[in-house]
Amino acid sequence: MNRISSWARKWWPGLIPLVFLWIGAIWTNTSPLETDIAARSTAALKGTVLDKTRISVSGRDVSLSAEAFSEEGRRSAVSQVEAVTGVRLIDDDTTLIREARPFEWSIERDVVRITLGGHAPLPASKARLADAARAAAAGTEVLDQMILARGAPPRFDTAALLLIDQIGRLKDGKITLSDTAVSLTGMAREIGNREAILAALKNLPEGYSVKENAIKAPPYVFRANKDPVANTVTLEGYVPDNNVHAAIVAAVGRKFFAEKLVDNLKASAGAPQGFQNAVVAALGALSRVSTGSLMLSDREVKLSGDALYAVAADQIRGGIGGELPQGWSVKADVSVKPVASAVDPTVCQQLFFELLGKAKIRFESGRATIDKDSMGLLDKLIETALRCPTANIEVAGHTDSDGDNNTNMALSEKRAQAVSDYLIKAGLPPDRLKAVGYGSSQPVAANDTDDGKAKNRRIDFVVK
Amino acid sequence: MIMIYLATFNWGWLLASGLVGLAMGWIAVVHRGRGWSTTTLRKVAVLIVALILAAVFHLAPGRAGYWLDLGLVMFAAYVIGCAVGSWLRSLVVARHAAAG
Repeated sequence: MNRISSWARKWWPGLIPLVFLWIGAIWTNTSPLETDIAARSTAALKGTVLDKTRISVSGRDVSLSAEAFSEEGRRSAVSQVEAVTGVRLIDDDTTLIREARPFEWSIERDVVRITLGGHAPLPASKARLADAARAAAAGTEVLDQMILARGAPPRFDTAALLLIDQIGRLKDGKITLSDTAVSLTGMAREIGNREAILAALKNLPEGYSVKENAIKAPPYVFRANKDPVANTVTLEGYVPDNNVHAAIVAAVGRKFFAEKLVDNLKASAGAPQGFQNAVVAALGALSRVSTGSLMLSDREVKLSGDALYAVAADQIRGGIGGELPQGWSVKADVSVKPVASAVDPTVCQQLFFELLGKAKIRFESGRATIDKDSMGLLDKLIETALRCPTANIEVAGHTDSDGDNNTNMALSEKRAQAVSDYLIKAGLPPDRLKAVGYGSSQPVAANDTDDGKAKNRRIDFVVK
Repeated sequence: MIMIYLATFNWGWLLASGLVGLAMGWIAVVHRGRGWSTTTLRKVAVLIVALILAAVFHLAPGRAGYWLDLGLVMFAAYVIGCAVGSWLRSLVVARHAAAG
């Protein structure tokens, strides 16, 4: 022991080079050591979900600053760094991210961009929502202004992703999620989109509800155009479904006896109440004009065209409003077509024959009430009758051979009279008209088939 | 664990400290000059103990703390080197004396 102590007394001169070595070690290795510890601390935190993570190392002391998403996550982050080899002390500057109450989230679309705002619960879900928005945006710029916060309701991501999908259906607008309440405002991109959004919202996760849905839809438009030169009726716009489509096509078939149908209708939800009835009534009015167009926009009907004679113009203007369902409005801009040049009675007869060859005046079954679908044909007959002022016209009613003769005779006479009365109302002088019922006495086809019978039930216009 | 980390990171410098110690120890046995008095040796020992305590209780912050740890580890390597050097030299001296 004494020997060691006597040696040790003389060891001190070596301390001088030792100090230089120490300075050398400090000089060369401090920075690399700090870098090494920082790299390994960062690696240790890779599996922990943190926001705004900042690691700075001074010597072997690590200062960790981060925002954690739960107390457990925060503690685990600190212990992960503590466990890194070489770390001496930890300056724990971790906090929990703030809790949002209520937890608000929104997606907004304007002309140029889609903006994601409000809160997101985790960085991964923030990224997922932004990606989903980019996919739904189809090229539109997406601006991510979401900030991270705690307090998201359960199944937040599912709900938000569903709402992001709806933004593609909006032209502009905003969808807001406040805790579990959804609010929507804005304008749907296309007809039917509002209804599609409404249907999609039914799939919101359990617990979520729609507080306010103020999505507006573009007007539900239906257009019809009657072109006498091309001899067509063109239908454009929307119908709610195939049944209504078929009903409208059938109505066109009944009301427009000579024109060819050009059908460009598309099916889409979102039709206003009473759409089918309104379209059928408006098409009835359109069938009576020579050239005309019809436009239904939501619950507004606009009709413009030329009636074939003055009384018809008044009837169209006055009649259509009454036939429309409740809540619909009409704007009829109907003028009168100039009277065509007069023709002699032979030509007149020929014209009657041609018209009645294309279609027949129809009545309610077994009665003498003229079917509304025959208004277009009657207008054409009246227009023709007005062109031959010198001709006397016999309105001749005929039936098939079914039923007893007297009844048929009476019915044919009543029907001829009804047509004659209609012609008088239209402005033809009563002394030029004569209604005669022939019953089944003058068949034009054999009465042994349904087809033949249908041909025999008719009104003829005979110039005398 | 921490010592191992420091040793692996600064092994070159520790080795150098150990070698300086070895050389110093080797020389000290036959050196005729005056060594430290007992009082100085005690004072130095107290200082070293104080520094070790400061290191153990993490009294020095940040880089200073690391430098202190490094210094003490290098000092330890030096002292071990000195002890080994002196012991080896004393063996050699003893053999010479026996032979002479």
